[in-house]
Amino acid sequence: MSEFMKVVDGVELPLDEDGFLQEPEMWSEAVAVAFAGDEGVEEMTDEHWKVVNYLREYYLKNKIAPMVRRLCKETGFNVKKIYELFPSGPAKGACKLAGLPKPTGCV
Amino acid sequence: MSEHTGRSHKAQMVLERYQKKLSRQVVGSLVACVHCGNCTDSCHYVLANPGDPTYAPAYKADRIRKLFKKHFDWTGKVFPWWVKAGDVMTDEDLEELKDTVFGKCTNCRRCTFNCPMGVDLATFNRMARCLLVSVGIMPEGVAVVSKDQWEIGNQMGVLKEDYLDTLDWMSEEVSEELDDPAAVIPVDKMDAEIVYTINPREVKYDPRTIADALKIFHAAGENWTMPSEGWDMTNFGLFSGDDDLGGVVARRVYDKVIDLRGKKLVISECGHGYRSTRCEGPNWAKFDIPFEMESSVDTMLRYIREGRIKVDKTKNPDKVTFHDSCNNARSCGLTEPPRELLELVCMDFQEMYPNREDNYCCTGGGGAMSMSEYTPRRLKSAKIKADQLKATGAKTVVTSCHNCVDGLADCIRHYKLGMGVTQLVTLVANALVWDEMPAAPGKPEIPEGVPAEMEPEVALDPDPEEASASEEPPLAGKRIVVADDDPDQVIYLKSVLSDAGAEIIEAADGDETLEACRKELPDMLTLDLEMPGTPTKDVFARLRDELPELRICIVTGRPELRALIYDQDLRRPEGYLDKPITEESLLRNVRKVLETS
Repeated sequence: MSEFMKVVDGVELPLDEDGFLQEPEMWSEAVAVAFAGDEGVEEMTDEHWKVVNYLREYYLKNKIAPMVRRLCKETGFNVKKIYELFPSGPAKGACKLAGLPKPTGCV
Repeated sequence: MSEHTGRSHKAQMVLERYQKKLSRQVVGSLVACVHCGNCTDSCHYVLANPGDPTYAPAYKADRIRKLFKKHFDWTGKVFPWWVKAGDVMTDEDLEELKDTVFGKCTNCRRCTFNCPMGVDLATFNRMARCLLVSVGIMPEGVAVVSKDQWEIGNQMGVLKEDYLDTLDWMSEEVSEELDDPAAVIPVDKMDAEIVYTINPREVKYDPRTIADALKIFHAAGENWTMPSEGWDMTNFGLFSGDDDLGGVVARRVYDKVIDLRGKKLVISECGHGYRSTRCEGPNWAKFDIPFEMESSVDTMLRYIREGRIKVDKTKNPDKVTFHDSCNNARSCGLTEPPRELLELVCMDFQEMYPNREDNYCCTGGGGAMSMSEYTPRRLKSAKIKADQLKATGAKTVVTSCHNCVDGLADCIRHYKLGMGVTQLVTLVANALVWDEMPAAPGKPEIPEGVPAEMEPEVALDPDPEEASASEEPPLAGKRIVVADDDPDQVIYLKSVLSDAGAEIIEAADGDETLEACRKELPDMLTLDLEMPGTPTKDVFARLRDELPELRICIVTGRPELRALIYDQDLRRPEGYLDKPITEESLLRNVRKVLETS
């Protein structure tokens, strides 16, 4: 198995070099759970799912990650809370769990 | 394929454009290398990959240099085998070049500082990137981000409504937290003293740094604004080598400041943004800037020095270290202000070694954070940074660069260092003392029971006469040794300090300074950093050893020399002053040193 591959439920998922899912449509809840440990999330709570589900929904519609402003507005969490839920942050942590591609730019 | 040359169209275009890029600066670096090898061990890629010669700066440079030798330099025509002249023929050759110039160098310029011939690899590495970008050969991440900067006006594709909504949101949060409806971000305010620009990362993913800046500007009572457009001070033109993009992006920022008739452009903590906007942008945009520009680090430091904000360093008790961004330190010389600020807002600041212009790249520089294809290489080379970080024993690394924040976070995670990463704006905002704002004059109170070194920084009344109109002068009974080899400077310091009631003892060189301090046992010493006799760093060290009670204020016209003092493992000076000195800053600082330490 290549270094850039993750096996979830017997399915091989290709990853990019930063560990993000190559094909966002191959995402499933089991993928989020499989990524969680690496991103410092011990257990996926309802609050985690609220964030992940919104990110996916927004991405599938707009093909870009939402601003953290929209994420907070929609979930009712403040930025601090988002960082508590996802220690590696909304861009590199939450987006990865939600199966989004790596955000572009200086991140 | 060109029929005459046998080259692919792209290869031919690269060569044709190469010639147009040959400025004196580029040619100087292309011809000067003598292959001495001094650069080799300066590169973090080499240190992390000792068995791979393709990472050596001179080797990488030769991938670009060989074309110059072959096509534009007479030596390559006379003895091509000797000067290693070479060509590019196919698109594959160009791909190979891409792998070197984007994937094996972060343009950090550490090799340049170790080159006896002054070869600036980053300059022509950037040129080579430009040539490749001009024929569409570049990492996808660079293409996406450049497109967003060209078309949407910022590198993360943030829409104007989302940007403004986020600023409103931060205004709401801060005004609520401070219970002060005036603590909001003024957008597009005309004639402001400061126009504040940021990195899109702040608005898109972590706007807490915007809230922190708002708190600081508000506490300082600043007349400031954030622009509704032209707010992205980052610039992918620096990374892609595209001067046209660089010029357009920089010009957007400048034009907005002019529209708003802003007096000063302040750039938030971002290494490449600071370099692009402040240093390179005017050249790319071919534009004379009619206003001042500074890093927010300078702004925050000024507020504390001028007593416009008060800070309590006990609010940041943990041990921190500082990572110098390559662009800030090596390309812009921004090395001392962040350290002075750290001393003022943190209890325990530990240098990382090596540091300043000798520091290692966070490994995410030169746009590397946006080039996923090279991430494994980047993380492997980050071993050097990881070792450096680990050796400090600090819990948190502070840096004045958003790109470094992410580069360091990746490094810390990969090597499981368990450290936090933060920026100065957050530490300063956290240390703010809100009661008794600077508007209220008078001598500030110092909390009792706080050891001298932990005492909060305090705002002092700049006018000594007003503070003690009917009482004795503010420095009455104080004895101060004024050490400076410039007689005019001594006369000036003496007259100002004597007028304030101090007794002055003069010293004109290192030896006289030592003698005067030993004999007179003064309350304080003002110490020039460049004097004949015993070197000042030794004077400082001996006095710290012999007279630990003596308070020392460094006075210098060359801030870079402060490293001489700071690099010693000794208690820091109690104060420092940049020449030229004004009466106000001299009295304020001397009183601060005498009354609070």
